Amino acid sequence: MSVHPRHRSATVSTGIGWRQPHYRELLERRPALGFLEVHSENFFADGGAALAVLEQARAHYPVSLHGVGLSLGSVDGVDPWHLAQLERLVQRIDPVRVSDHASFARGRWQGGTHHAADLLPLPLSREALDVLCANVQQVQDRLQRPLLVENLSAYLRWHTAPEDAPLTEPHFLAELARRTGCALLVDVNNLYVNARNAELAGAPGNPRALARAWLDEIPASVVGEIHLAGHTLVRDAQGEIAVDDHGSRVCDAVWQLYRHALARFGTVPTLIEWDTDLPALDVLLDEAAHAQRMTDEAAAAASPLSTRLAA
Amino acid sequence: MSRLAQQQQALLDALLGSPTEAAAQALAGAVATPWARGLQVYRANSRALAQRALAAAYPVLVQLLGEDSFSALAQAFWQAQPPRRGDMNQWGETLADFLAGDAQLQDLPYLPDVARLEWALQRCAQAADATAEPASYQRLMDEDPARLTLVLAPGCTLLASAWPVTSIVTAHHTEQPDLGTAAERLRAGLGETALVWREGLRPRVRAVWPGEAALLSALQAGASLAAALEMAHALDFAAWLPMAGQTGLLVAVHPLHEPQACQRAS
Repeated sequence: MSVHPRHRSATVSTGIGWRQPHYRELLERRPALGFLEVHSENFFADGGAALAVLEQARAHYPVSLHGVGLSLGSVDGVDPWHLAQLERLVQRIDPVRVSDHASFARGRWQGGTHHAADLLPLPLSREALDVLCANVQQVQDRLQRPLLVENLSAYLRWHTAPEDAPLTEPHFLAELARRTGCALLVDVNNLYVNARNAELAGAPGNPRALARAWLDEIPASVVGEIHLAGHTLVRDAQGEIAVDDHGSRVCDAVWQLYRHALARFGTVPTLIEWDTDLPALDVLLDEAAHAQRMTDEAAAAASPLSTRLAA
Repeated sequence: MSRLAQQQQALLDALLGSPTEAAAQALAGAVATPWARGLQVYRANSRALAQRALAAAYPVLVQLLGEDSFSALAQAFWQAQPPRRGDMNQWGETLADFLAGDAQLQDLPYLPDVARLEWALQRCAQAADATAEPASYQRLMDEDPARLTLVLAPGCTLLASAWPVTSIVTAHHTEQPDLGTAAERLRAGLGETALVWREGLRPRVRAVWPGEAALLSALQAGASLAAALEMAHALDFAAWLPMAGQTGLLVAVHPLHEPQACQRAS
């Protein structure tokens, strides 16, 4: 897997999250897409229809296996059962990429090991970085391939001890990539959601500028995939908060950040994620086409030929 | 306990089990203000996920209880027995026992068996694939049944119930029988033994034929075909065999020493 900046305008680099209501239609229509993304955990079965349909799709598309349950940041480590299921799936599907999140969910509760089934934030501490690196290394050793690790939408921020001054999130992730050789999966919508929530919590600064600065702090060479999705602003008696629900079109501010990311990182495989209130397949394809146009424009603007023509 | 372990414990304690003010306050000391709205997002996520995951495994229970009661059930089950794995398809196996212990549901005593049957269907959908070997049926003509066994479909499971559990579930799946007939069988106190198996990739369920449960149980216990047939005098084997082949229940006829696939759900 190459994670270096590259510009290949002729190829389709954009994919969509492929969810159950679109299984059949996509296989019938087979639109031009760079890849399909599925959640790894939905295909941990020994056999059956879901796995069969994924194997069918794999005959026509590269597949990106995106996990939501490895709990890479857990002090209690990665569940050996989970890792064994993932290894078997990777062997079956031969995915183009394997990813999960810089988060935790697994831990002790009432005497047993449990899993909160969510993407819970890690403190940006050296201690958390050490744990995350060790778990990522373990998974990479087992899968015999680099992992991509994604930044979260986080709704809580940890205090860190005075002696363990917090890293910035991009620094934390860049260190993770440097120490483990993993790539980063940059979710542009998550950046923006976090920046919006910082603003709503009273932090100074403009969310777009904060998110751009975040992108500028990430080394371009380690970015292996970009995620784009919609979010919702929820207002109720307890206040206002941006929620990363993957339930709508990508907003204008996130498209602008994506343009900035393309200029910084070059052409990167990009995913349109949509998980709640799933629309018609054509809506996803339309969003993917939009991302592809922006990618092609960025690639054309960066190519030496267009530079000469513009001169 | 390291600082990171304390931090992770504080957030898990605030999200797993019944949310308590003490757990929220313990978390409050570890996170930046404002935190209440953020914690609420995580709690709402887990509520929605619990409901969605259980509804996917138990669609007939959703219909029997109604959306609101089912949602409350999912929330109570999450609080009592949160997931143990990061694959939500693994969560919910013990829902039948949880229902059986719920005092408010004692007037619906068939619900636990409906849950057991739906879980068997869910597991069946995910069982390892098998390739039918129709050529192997020839062994039934050529070889001694005392040295043969039948290889049964993936996910093959028997569930004996004091309630008409198959009728209740299939009435909701396909209206076969219609709901009125299923309700009559329930009032009449009719028990059914359900058979779950996979026809190709499709999970199936039906009530067993007379003698069929005895045959399948004996095969499952490792008996030869001859010994299993001894246990199943009520079974019309000559009619059963082509039906079992056509519906995918019978995958192959093998020499006796090979492993058996059929399981018993309860």
